[in-house]
Amino acid sequence: MTNKKKILLIDDDKDFLFATKLILEKGGYEVFMAEDGKSGVEMWKSVNPDLAIIDMMMETWGEGFSVLNKIRATDKGKEIPLFMLSAVDLHGPYNSFEPPPEFPKVNRVLHKPIKADDLLNYIARELSSK
Amino acid sequence: MTNKSGKPLILIIDDEEALRDGCRQVLEKAGYDVLTAGEGIEGIKLARENLPDMSFIDLKMPNMSGMEIIEILFRDIPDIVLVMITGFATIVSAVEAMQKGAYDYLPKPFNPDQLRALAKRGLEHRYLKIETKRLREEKDQMEKNFITFVSHEMRSPLVVIRQYIEALNTILGERFDQDTKEIIERCRKRIQSLEEMVEHWLDISRIENGTLAQQKVDLDIETIISKSTDEMIPVCRKRGISLEANVPPKLPQIKGDEESLVRVFSNIIGNATKYTPDGGKITITCQHDEYYINVTIADTGVGISPDKLSLIFEPFFRCGGKNEKYSGSGLGLTFCKKIMESHNGCIAVSSKESEGTTFVLTFPCRIDQE
Repeated sequence: MTNKKKILLIDDDKDFLFATKLILEKGGYEVFMAEDGKSGVEMWKSVNPDLAIIDMMMETWGEGFSVLNKIRATDKGKEIPLFMLSAVDLHGPYNSFEPPPEFPKVNRVLHKPIKADDLLNYIARELSSK
Repeated sequence: MTNKSGKPLILIIDDEEALRDGCRQVLEKAGYDVLTAGEGIEGIKLARENLPDMSFIDLKMPNMSGMEIIEILFRDIPDIVLVMITGFATIVSAVEAMQKGAYDYLPKPFNPDQLRALAKRGLEHRYLKIETKRLREEKDQMEKNFITFVSHEMRSPLVVIRQYIEALNTILGERFDQDTKEIIERCRKRIQSLEEMVEHWLDISRIENGTLAQQKVDLDIETIISKSTDEMIPVCRKRGISLEANVPPKLPQIKGDEESLVRVFSNIIGNATKYTPDGGKITITCQHDEYYINVTIADTGVGISPDKLSLIFEPFFRCGGKNEKYSGSGLGLTFCKKIMESHNGCIAVSSKESEGTTFVLTFPCRIDQE
């Protein structure tokens, strides 16, 4: 039995999944990956992770949001820390994404690429405050 | 084609029954579906219900004239090809019909070959017209999608490579020797500057097609200057460069987008710090009259040679050519120029080699109208 915390990564870019998985595993987490929204939501139900990281810009703009909505709509999903990923903006704040107030709760918006230290710190902070 | 059978559909509107039937036989034999009407109202009703590809319309009919029918069908039925049949083939009536949207006219009497030839030519014309329209729409859409496409498809791989470098450093970083670390760091930097280049280029494309989000509000130049100099203070302090801003009190406001103007100033002040030797000086001064505010940014740097001075706002132009000591996208000043233009302002430069460079940004004062 492992008592590693479980993290679910949902992103349609295989390489991004793999690179991020390596970082998270080095950080001591057990990582589950889904390449699209649908299997992400299914995996969410079967894996029951401690935290999920969801890409906003899969296939269509809306997919990340709909995954977020579906997860937040489940009983277990109400309080779990959720991070959203965005590559919309690299520098200046043009088109940068901040979830509107009526949006389901997003614990943090991360911009790709994410520094490994930052990622691990943010996750540690969320999971320790639980 | 609009017809269920897949054959082109032709509508004949003529009050002479013999002519209607003759046309029907000829055209059906030639492989078309044919509808006929003996007068205008019926013809228009049939056209609206069946959306024919082409219609032959007699000019002289009781009740509604062919000219009126042409006008209505041209307006109501998309891409329909209209031909006026006339026994009084005068130039005047032909021209009038064409003006109302007819493609051609067919003088009576005509033989089956003439009818077939005109039907064929008219339908080809229609096909080409539709195809042209479709291609034009596709082209417009492609142009619109291009920026979205570039931003997603070109940036994604770069982002992923940088994420891999992060992963590599995380899982193996401790075991890398100095040379390996150096190589990886150089790769990271090169990827990052490529990313920046894509980003800057996108910004310029967005300005050009008007999709750069700019929120023009009343602004104090002073705020913009202090926001952009704040970023530079650490670098200047480290290198002993004095950075001075002299903004007179009660400078008129301008109308502008703070975010992009801060980037313009940061860009120019950033260049000044790059090309000014340690211990140099960068001075920002503002002057204004009733109509314009001039902001001058002068450095005591290496300067730009006269032959290069006129080229510095060109995309991808680098003063130092391939031996440029400082990395950059080569798009910074192009961006500045475009942003200044989008603020109805302008940017000018003067320089003396080994003495320094001076940029002047000119903004129109905010005019209180209404």
